[in-house]
Amino acid sequence: MWGLFFTLEDKVQGNSYRIIFLHVPAAFLSQSLYIAMAVASVTYLVWRVKLAAYLIVAIAPIGAMLTFIALSSGSIWGIPTWGTWWQWDARMTSTLILFIMYLGLISLHSSFNNQEKADKLLSWLVIVGSVNIPIIKKSVEWWSTLHQTSSDKFGENSNIDPSMLYPLIGSIIGFFGLIVCLVIISSKVQIIKRESAKSWVKDYV
Amino acid sequence: MFNSAFKSVEEAIYMNGHGIYVWSVVAIVTFCLVCSFIYYKIKIKRLKKKLDESN
Repeated sequence: MWGLFFTLEDKVQGNSYRIIFLHVPAAFLSQSLYIAMAVASVTYLVWRVKLAAYLIVAIAPIGAMLTFIALSSGSIWGIPTWGTWWQWDARMTSTLILFIMYLGLISLHSSFNNQEKADKLLSWLVIVGSVNIPIIKKSVEWWSTLHQTSSDKFGENSNIDPSMLYPLIGSIIGFFGLIVCLVIISSKVQIIKRESAKSWVKDYV
Repeated sequence: MFNSAFKSVEEAIYMNGHGIYVWSVVAIVTFCLVCSFIYYKIKIKRLKKKLDESN
């Protein structure tokens, strides 16, 4: 709301820049969730913590949704800004790969009858796929891309005006809160589903 | 800090021709988040019902 209604119009991009307040949090959290999945995968494979495996399955659809939001909002933003909704540049392509990876992980897990086997395979695939995260992050530096370079410096070195930076930080925090709630609800679904035979789940429900 | 960037509701909707892009993104984000919450709420309700029946 702050970003949408109370920040000044951008001199170059006009009002279309307001998409930043939704695009950046979605893109940032889609990658952060993948890192969380990678950490959960290592936890599951090393210490055999079942909850970590449930967390991977719970996070994947939310990560896919956020990547979809990042891709679609970026494409819509691209129409007035770049004159095109899609370009096969490094940032966009690597984000599309992240989206496909999320979808692949979801469909792979649901295609297995043996849940333990599926968890193990999923964990390995998440770890292997995590190589894409630094590629997404560094793609704008490694290759010449249509997508702008990173503006993630804060404080005096920031290349975003404070009148836009603070609402953006607020938006990221707000998005983070919503996504944490979604992950908790999704994890609850996984726990009830997978532990339904246990008496404590029956007592809890 | 909290002075409105627009003089009227119409201006806020139109956004100098960029409203269609901004509001369509707002619609996509709202739709995705609301659908996700509803989907998980329904799923928990169904699982609880299933567990109640099996007890």
